[in-house]
Amino acid sequence: MSNVHERLRRLLFLVPYVSKHPGVTVEALARALNISREDLLEELDLLTCVGRPPFNPDDYIDIYVDNDRVYVDLDQRLFAPPRLTAGEAAALAASAELLRPASGDALQSALQKLEHVLPPQVRERYREMYRKIDASTEAPQALGPLTRAILERREVMFGYASPGRAAEPRRVRPYELLSHRGQWYLQGFCHTRQDARLFRLDRMEDLTVTETPFLPPPDARADVPNPARSTSEASVRVRFSPVAAPYVKERFGQDARPLADGGVEVLVAGDSERWLTQWVLSFGGEAEVMEPVSARAAVARAARASIGL
Amino acid sequence: MDRTERILDLVALLLDAREPISWAELREHFPADYGGSDDAAERKFERDKAELVELGFPLTYVQGDDERRDGYIVDREAYYLPEADLTKEELAVLYAAGSAALTSGVFPGRDDLAHALRKIGFFAGESLPTPRVRMELGATQAGQEKEVSARLEQLWDACASRKWVDMSYASPKHPTATQRKVDPYGLALRRGVWTLVGHCHLRGGLRTFHVHRVRELKVNTARPRTPDFQVPEDFSLDNHVAYFPWQHRFHEPVEVVLRLSGALASRASGLFPGATLEPAGEGVTLARLRVSFLDGLTRFCLSLGADCVVEGPESARSRLREMAVRVANRHADALEDKVSA
Repeated sequence: MSNVHERLRRLLFLVPYVSKHPGVTVEALARALNISREDLLEELDLLTCVGRPPFNPDDYIDIYVDNDRVYVDLDQRLFAPPRLTAGEAAALAASAELLRPASGDALQSALQKLEHVLPPQVRERYREMYRKIDASTEAPQALGPLTRAILERREVMFGYASPGRAAEPRRVRPYELLSHRGQWYLQGFCHTRQDARLFRLDRMEDLTVTETPFLPPPDARADVPNPARSTSEASVRVRFSPVAAPYVKERFGQDARPLADGGVEVLVAGDSERWLTQWVLSFGGEAEVMEPVSARAAVARAARASIGL
Repeated sequence: MDRTERILDLVALLLDAREPISWAELREHFPADYGGSDDAAERKFERDKAELVELGFPLTYVQGDDERRDGYIVDREAYYLPEADLTKEELAVLYAAGSAALTSGVFPGRDDLAHALRKIGFFAGESLPTPRVRMELGATQAGQEKEVSARLEQLWDACASRKWVDMSYASPKHPTATQRKVDPYGLALRRGVWTLVGHCHLRGGLRTFHVHRVRELKVNTARPRTPDFQVPEDFSLDNHVAYFPWQHRFHEPVEVVLRLSGALASRASGLFPGATLEPAGEGVTLARLRVSFLDGLTRFCLSLGADCVVEGPESARSRLREMAVRVANRHADALEDKVSA
């Protein structure tokens, strides 16, 4: 999209916004428009030159900054923003798909209302564009109640099956939901373990939202352990055949060391034997643990177990 | 006059007009812009008009009659965003999803989305929820987000205006990148990865491309408002993009039956969505699924461990066994005995 187009969209929103929020601070307005303070002041300058013929003093937009606050006295009929364009509505609808089916009926009704406020001449184009983007993730049902619990700051309870163990009850303060490589996680404080924990949504059972309120910490942000990123404890050496090498290179980039036979070798964290074994097995024979011996043995045992040996 | 300024002046003029405004009047109002030679002035106005339409400005030209003269008018009612009367819950859903998509950094139509969120929030006042939903999408390596994001934006525009793209594509299956001209039909997100589906001129058929594997990309800029191709009526993204590895269309579909026990039995529906499940005794679930890429399934089954057993068909059983034997033998010295296939 051209700069003129972006700028026009911004300005046609800016005037109505100030009209609706007289005295909004320069700071808040810049934030609402996602532009810098300097860029905003430049936009306000331009707007003072905008008006309609015959360009008498009263024909101009009268917008100004006073004491770091923005006011508009004459908006020249720009008191509400334009309707959504086909592209805007399609992008919004497509993003809403990200949380389906967790959002339930609310999503469907919201989209219907949105379509209703589209200008008739763009509805057809909107439908066409909406068909061109498909962001429906396999969002688990638990997303709905968990999103609500996070917003309403209420603790949750669920049964959680850690790898290799039967499900046990957990009571958790839910902080944040995170989707990583198509897998959904809940980050929160676990009362049962008295520590911050990351839970996979697909391992939760019988989720309930309690009435117990909590105050979330301001910086509750978790990262999913990613073997390709953690180098501090990289202690396991894994070798890949030339067949698997291009895919491994895609994920590890420069950290994938090329080998003479066309394969590659990488170093990954060895703190979870279970994860490592699963990961190596998922390459179906195209990956081999070189060291340590204990990790080699774990992979061999798992492979044999899967064919009943 | 600056073009942005001129177009805004036009908006102000047309929103205020009670009568249609003729071309002659417009030339009079903007002598420095539309006053030149007839052809050049008209071309300039046509471009401005196209921009107005692009912004959703409901501009039409009316033929005059006895009652009124010829000229341009705008349907004011159709210009202003009305209140959509979204409930708190509906707004929360749209806002949570929209913000998650924006903060993920990798979502096509980001500019469009940002404007849309602003607009739906216009009537909501300060009561917008701040959702804590975060998504990591589209990039396979850290630091790749910016590039993928830029590609998605270009592809979004190309899909919307139906213009072909010329791209350099690095498939892991080929040693070097290939140059391809593609008619982009649409974009799909599957398990955190964005896929472009379109007609590939090089291969002469529908192909899918992972957006993070697109190295260079140019959108056809000739005649930007004229579409280069039609998307077939019956085209559906879902028919071409797989959710799971075993759904890639590499061979005729076969039905595979899996026997899941232990901790896997209760997770069956999450592990194999869409599979037909039936209980088979205490703590055992049978899962039947359609598979069009057997190796994709057997690799996944292998990683699930001994609690996932392939019941049939025999081709799937032997493939899993073959893979397991290969892994076991490559690591055999750790246990000191070989397994025969």
